[in-house]
Amino acid sequence: MLTLSMEITDDIKEAKDILQNIIKAKKTFRMYPKNNPVYTKVLNDSYSKFRDFFDYKDSYTLKISQNSITYDSEKIYYNPEKEDNLALFFFKDGLREITFKKGLTIEELEEFLRIISLDFDREVMDDVVTMLWERDFQNIQYVVDETFLIDIDEEEYESVSEKSIKDKITDVSDLMRAYEDGFKEDVTKPVSVVPLTDKDLQLLVKELEKDAYDKTDKLINILFEILKQADNDNDVDDVVGFLRDVIRYSLSHGDLGSVVNIIRKVKELEKDDWLSESVKKRLNSLLIFLGSEEIIAILAEILDSGIEIELDLFNEYVNVLDKGAIGPFIKYLGELKTIKARKIVIEALITLGRKDIYAIAHALEDNRWYVVRNVIYILRRIGDRKAVEYLLRTVKHSDIRVRKEVIRTLGELGGNEVIQTLRDCLNDPDIQVRLSAVKALGAIKTEVTKKIIMNLIADKSFNNKDLSEKKETFETLSRWKDQDVFEFLIKIINKRAFFNRSRIFENKACAAYTLGLIGNKDALPILHKLSDSKNKILKEFTSMAIKRLEYG
Amino acid sequence: MDSQSGLKEEKEQIKGSQDIINQLSVILRTSQIHDTSNIAVITSIEKFLSLFNQYYGDESSLIIDLVGEFFYINDKRVRYALEYLLNFDFLIKEFRKRQLGRVIFRNNLKSTDLQLFLKAFNLAGSSNTPYETMAEILSQSENIDIDRLKKIMEGNVDARKLVKKIYYNAVSYSKGVINKIKSGEKVNIKKAKRIVETMVDQILEEEKLLLGMTAIKDYDEYTYYHSVNVSILSIALGQRLGLSKKLLTELGLVALFHDIGKVEIPNEILNKSTNFTDEEWNLIKAHPKWGLRAILKIKGLDEISMRSAIVAFEHHMNYDLSGYPKVKSYKELDLFSRIVSVVDQYDAMTSSRVYSRIPLAPDKALSIMMERAGTQLDPLLFKFFVNMVGVFPIGTLVMLDTKELGLVYESDIVYSDRPKVLIIVDSEGKNVNGPIVDLTEKDERGRFIRTIVKTLDPNKYRINLAEYLL
Repeated sequence: MLTLSMEITDDIKEAKDILQNIIKAKKTFRMYPKNNPVYTKVLNDSYSKFRDFFDYKDSYTLKISQNSITYDSEKIYYNPEKEDNLALFFFKDGLREITFKKGLTIEELEEFLRIISLDFDREVMDDVVTMLWERDFQNIQYVVDETFLIDIDEEEYESVSEKSIKDKITDVSDLMRAYEDGFKEDVTKPVSVVPLTDKDLQLLVKELEKDAYDKTDKLINILFEILKQADNDNDVDDVVGFLRDVIRYSLSHGDLGSVVNIIRKVKELEKDDWLSESVKKRLNSLLIFLGSEEIIAILAEILDSGIEIELDLFNEYVNVLDKGAIGPFIKYLGELKTIKARKIVIEALITLGRKDIYAIAHALEDNRWYVVRNVIYILRRIGDRKAVEYLLRTVKHSDIRVRKEVIRTLGELGGNEVIQTLRDCLNDPDIQVRLSAVKALGAIKTEVTKKIIMNLIADKSFNNKDLSEKKETFETLSRWKDQDVFEFLIKIINKRAFFNRSRIFENKACAAYTLGLIGNKDALPILHKLSDSKNKILKEFTSMAIKRLEYG
Repeated sequence: MDSQSGLKEEKEQIKGSQDIINQLSVILRTSQIHDTSNIAVITSIEKFLSLFNQYYGDESSLIIDLVGEFFYINDKRVRYALEYLLNFDFLIKEFRKRQLGRVIFRNNLKSTDLQLFLKAFNLAGSSNTPYETMAEILSQSENIDIDRLKKIMEGNVDARKLVKKIYYNAVSYSKGVINKIKSGEKVNIKKAKRIVETMVDQILEEEKLLLGMTAIKDYDEYTYYHSVNVSILSIALGQRLGLSKKLLTELGLVALFHDIGKVEIPNEILNKSTNFTDEEWNLIKAHPKWGLRAILKIKGLDEISMRSAIVAFEHHMNYDLSGYPKVKSYKELDLFSRIVSVVDQYDAMTSSRVYSRIPLAPDKALSIMMERAGTQLDPLLFKFFVNMVGVFPIGTLVMLDTKELGLVYESDIVYSDRPKVLIIVDSEGKNVNGPIVDLTEKDERGRFIRTIVKTLDPNKYRINLAEYLL
């Protein structure tokens, strides 16, 4: 007797353990992705508990009440609270019993745990019973109380209806009349049932294959049919509202095709003369909606999720947006997590920015440095000099990465108003900023900017700069392959040095290297002379220049 | 009594029955701690008596039955009240422990009777023959009787009862949806899904019974029955087409909502017995568009609502794109629309409605539909449909070569012209109710025992199918 009761106790203990593991898994699955080791461990632990249990039992049945779960008449779970109540979670949707059978696979268990870990208030439209029903588990069965499906007012519907139908009892005389007529009426020629053939089945297969396609475009077509026939503004408003829903739905499923379908239809209708201005106005509101923050937020999520989108469609979509979309795109540009998504949004902003450069330029005031840097890049790609006045204000940005980007952009955009700012940047305490300014001046490539760089090099303070800074400054000068620069470099090479010789030799080395870049072979004699120099850097740089000049 | 006060009374009755079960549980719990003469026990007994008099004072007795997991009071199931759940569970457990299935409290029940009941109940708890112990003690009371718990064997549930329940749940839901939309209330789609899931399960397991339910048409509430019938027949046809469970659910839901646009048509037009004016026809023809609108407004867009909207819009458009609503640039109808269209026509033709009081006999309806296949109806789907319902669909009134008159009760998948038939007039011309005969049965010489020779129109003779099929 004692052994039996011990067995029962062990049995209950194991049943309780399994349930505890389920509860743990429910929480873990919500927190960790499938590939996380914690997720895998909890799943394996849970499955292992089941396996041990099934070594000596054929099934594991839980009976569910509002606040408790019972195994074999023993309450193994109790929670009177509403929050985190597993019993209530099952109970509220009508689940009264769940049975896991011996053949339970780890895949089934995982699916089950994934279902119960969903946030049913927010994530899914279905309830837990529907989710279990759709999975159609082989080794997980459940009992459901469906009575709660019926409104309290309709509880007696079945008995009342049945009674009312049955009350209309057939009159025996009518029945006998039917019987008598049965002998009089002509012999029946029933509909012939033609047996189904292979051809029928093949046709059916084709139908089913066709049917597998998404229905969104079909709905869009219907909505436009209704729109064309609408005879009042309310109907139009309804359709426009539904089309908005379709846009939301399609985008959230990464379906840009349907959105573009709507766009094309709107564009086509807008050309129709018979369409009233008020309908056209309402239709146009759809295009504005496409660039709203709500839609861009959905788009951003999709872009970040890694769902592939067709760039041609995306471009077609972006092309119809108006400047109102710039703000939302900028907002989400700063929130996107993946480089790929950011690149796509940047391209969109380049397209949109061409419609309104000022709207983009205003984003230079964004307080996220990385957004400002991206905006500068966008302005550079747009290449509209109207942006210069805004860019100039950003040169003093607190983040060095922004400063570098804006200097580069100013260089590419050019113009006299830029030069003084770039010149000022040559004195920046940061080497990267200074070098960016040098390159930007090189990019402008005017006589004025050439002089500025030459003066910079000629200045005494230049001697003390790092070799790398010197080298890049000289390299920039090589953009001007003219006699002026050639002579300037020769002059540096020929300059005699008494003090600070190593620094001066660095200058000579850089000048020699730059002569190689310029490609003027007149420099070869002087370079050959220098090639025997005892100064290691000078010798190395000269040798490189000679090679370049002699061998290209 | 108006419907409002009737409903109020009904709700009070439900609450009363819950209170009674709860209070009985309270008394028993209290008496397990205190002596039956203790003030706590006496107080709870008084409260029970007061509830008893309040709700059941006018009746000769209060009968509490425990059947399966549920209590019934005077044959009405007591709804599971969440706030009383623990007390309910306790009482079920205690009843079972004593093998107690029924308690009858007569209307001159007194406090002393209940004290005796408590004594019997508590003593039985520790007895090896609990029921007998209780019965013996309670034999002293004239106002309390008990009966033993009846075992409910699993799998012994009457399949027909279950099917009826599923069917009427669906009809009642359909009614609720229409009423809710009319009054601007929120419609619960999750419920619809659950209801359709039960129908899909039933059809996958044993379609004949649920299909049989669709043969019973109720004139008064045509709209609700029709929606459910179309849903059931569509699921059954979908099953023949090999659709997955998930798609069958979608199809069932879509079909359930196909006529939802009719909520906007005034009842006086819908129920008009004379011909429609042009204006009225225009309203009728607008219901597909209104259906689409109603569905898209019920909830956010998803696969099901999208498809439901498409089907609601297309279900009166013909296979050749004639019909209504008229469309300009259209290629073809959705598969589900074509399924619903076949089924919708069949159910409508075989149902009595206000403007068409005499419906067509099922086989006649099929003949007409046969002529429409290829123009109005998809010929391939119609072929599958006829193969499904058989030459003589359920509810067809048939004369057999044995001079028996019967109603088709179940189709036969293999022999579509040899269904099971419920005999309602025997060969001697006597009105009978059964037996159900199988027309595939042969005699010892290999000849069919019975064959259908004629079909008759059950409506012409006002034969109430429900009387026989329910």
